[in-house]
Amino acid sequence: MRKVFINSESIDFLVLPYEDVEFVFIQTRKKCTARITIRPKANVKFKVKIYIYAEGDSEVDCVCTLNVSKEVSGVETDIQIRSWPFDKSKIKARPEMFIANSNIIANHGNALGTLKPEDKYYLDSRGITDYKELVKQSLLNA
Amino acid sequence: MIKVKNLSASIGDKQILDNINFTVEPGECLLITGPNGSGKSTLLHTIMGRPDITASGSIVIRNGELIDMPCHERSQAGVFMAHQSPPAIDGINTMTLFKEIQKVQNVAGSTSDLIKLTKSLFNWIGLPEGWEKRQFNNGASGGERKKNELTQAVYLQGKTQVLLLDEPDSGLEQSSRQKIIDLIQETKNRRGCVLLVTHDKELQELYSANKLDLSNA
Repeated sequence: MRKVFINSESIDFLVLPYEDVEFVFIQTRKKCTARITIRPKANVKFKVKIYIYAEGDSEVDCVCTLNVSKEVSGVETDIQIRSWPFDKSKIKARPEMFIANSNIIANHGNALGTLKPEDKYYLDSRGITDYKELVKQSLLNA
Repeated sequence: MIKVKNLSASIGDKQILDNINFTVEPGECLLITGPNGSGKSTLLHTIMGRPDITASGSIVIRNGELIDMPCHERSQAGVFMAHQSPPAIDGINTMTLFKEIQKVQNVAGSTSDLIKLTKSLFNWIGLPEGWEKRQFNNGASGGERKKNELTQAVYLQGKTQVLLLDEPDSGLEQSSRQKIIDLIQETKNRRGCVLLVTHDKELQELYSANKLDLSNA
């Protein structure tokens, strides 16, 4: 499942995953507050990827919560959040895990940053200078 | 054609190149040799316009003087560099990158033509199925990254006046060497010129007729 949110302001999304899920946030204005709750059934394996792009003076505040109750076992998951805050935008993103069963494998990661100087040089060497647009289009077209 | 006169280059306080002079005529390949640390890669990056390199002197190609031109304009003027260590760029989709290259380099063709062409180029060079959908070089081996560079070089060869090859063979299997030789030959046939840095003995022998030794650069 893949969901793309463009300039949304408030998102409250419940996922009952049975496959990999991907969320893309493109924010070019205003503030987006997003809460994503993942509530798996027993014995499912899935990955969650959240990509957040912000530009201008926009803001994104995103919480992704994994909620596993005591009766649910055998879940394997990995939650990764990757954020690109361009210009003066602000991104606050974090994964949360509430797990009440010991037979669960759950990993998470959270990375934030724009392009490194060596990445920009590489793109320059291909004649490309609009890095923001490239990231935005990549997320939209993936 | 590329004409380099009195070229000096430094990174920070460290001078790497001092007073380099050479000319490569259209249809020629120049082999650049020298021990590790002699400045072979720096010379190519200086011609490409890496922003942390301070350069003085003159670099002239058919489209004019490059020395004060920013890197992206040099690219658009016909300089192509196949990097020695191309990065993996998080968040950049490979096909989207090709679309952007097509746009900024004014390469003719529709988007569907581009998708067909890049897929066939990835297949020809031996990159895995679905490569165009991946994030750029994400999880790619050194050899795969080199193949990605060669694919772009082939895609842009109609626009390239000066082809800079920085160890294009390293990490590649033997069978890919012929593709590098073909790329060099095709560039020469189009009256472009090639600057080649390589540690591959066979390639060195093949292009030894025209050589620049940076041992004392």
